[in-house]
Amino acid sequence: MEMVAATKMRKSQEIALASRPYAFAALDFLATVSNLDSAKLPELFHDRTKNPSTSSGPRVLFVLVSSDKGLAGAFNSSVFRKFAAHFEKWASLAPKGREEQLFVAIGEKANQYLSKKGYNVVKKFTAVGDHTTVEQVKPIADFIVEGFLAESWDRVVVVSTHFRSALKQEPHVRTILPIDFDHIAETIKEIIPERGKFADLIKEQNISFIPSKTDSRDYLIEPSAEEVLNNLAKHLFFMQMYHIILEANASEHSARRMAMKTASDNAKDLGDRLNLQYNKSRQSRITTEISEISAGAEALS
Amino acid sequence: MKLSIYSLKNILFQGEASLLNCQTMAGEITVLDRHEALISVLTAGIIRIVDKDKKEQFFPITSGFLEVKPDSDVRCIVEQ
Repeated sequence: MEMVAATKMRKSQEIALASRPYAFAALDFLATVSNLDSAKLPELFHDRTKNPSTSSGPRVLFVLVSSDKGLAGAFNSSVFRKFAAHFEKWASLAPKGREEQLFVAIGEKANQYLSKKGYNVVKKFTAVGDHTTVEQVKPIADFIVEGFLAESWDRVVVVSTHFRSALKQEPHVRTILPIDFDHIAETIKEIIPERGKFADLIKEQNISFIPSKTDSRDYLIEPSAEEVLNNLAKHLFFMQMYHIILEANASEHSARRMAMKTASDNAKDLGDRLNLQYNKSRQSRITTEISEISAGAEALS
Repeated sequence: MKLSIYSLKNILFQGEASLLNCQTMAGEITVLDRHEALISVLTAGIIRIVDKDKKEQFFPITSGFLEVKPDSDVRCIVEQ
């Protein structure tokens, strides 16, 4: 089980890294486009929390990313704990005129947790499997974007796991909608783990996070800057969602690896102890028998 | 010109190419060496490129972006 989880972890890390060139190119592209003078930010960038669309105040969508299966150590419970802490803090901050809350569950465990608490789960996405594919993330991203554009919610907060290294994963709270340039840049930076096999890649390939400032006036833009930004916003959002889920995936597998390692270590320990106990009792029986035989022989002579 | 085509799953093409043909929102375009700086939105269709060995390559896409930088540096980010 430990080996299986380790293999899956390596695979999911590789998948996350395969999309890195795309992420950097997209970020660079965004930097170029956002320099345009006439650029008007599309709706996905709009902060509606100041002037809500409904009289009941702004509505928040919480997205909880967890696994489908258990036996992954503290992976799911740490996400839920983080969520509960964040939720409590946020609830105490806004006692009246509180934002309406909606919930989306990604993974069977998140769905179970939210249902048990009696929260209003709008939709659940499960059976993502061991490795996320682009096709599986698409419906999730589309659902969230459509709801945002239809003003079903004004803010989207994701609680997921940040993969720092194979041994360390942290639960993380991120606001993903409305889109913020800095948040996207942060997510992209986090694609590379801090330590381990893949951490050196960043030095090798000489990747810089500072976009080159080319004079955007030289660019010819078809069909219009607004159109380009609008499309780009959707792509970037999708990419961000994809990475959040990939990261959760990698974290799940490494958390499971650790859990399985502890389990097999414990089992081995227990086995050793039982073996010792068995040998001891066997030895004592033999000793008793021998002493009985020798006592009998002595009585005869 | 230097051409790179990236998708979320992998790098589709990276290297020298002499021609790039694709569908954009404003119609079909062909990018050659020393093209004017351009930013455009790609639509569903097939990207055709001719690499430096005069070999043709095709990539089907569903959407994406095209960026032509002033110094014959072309970059596409695509969704498949």
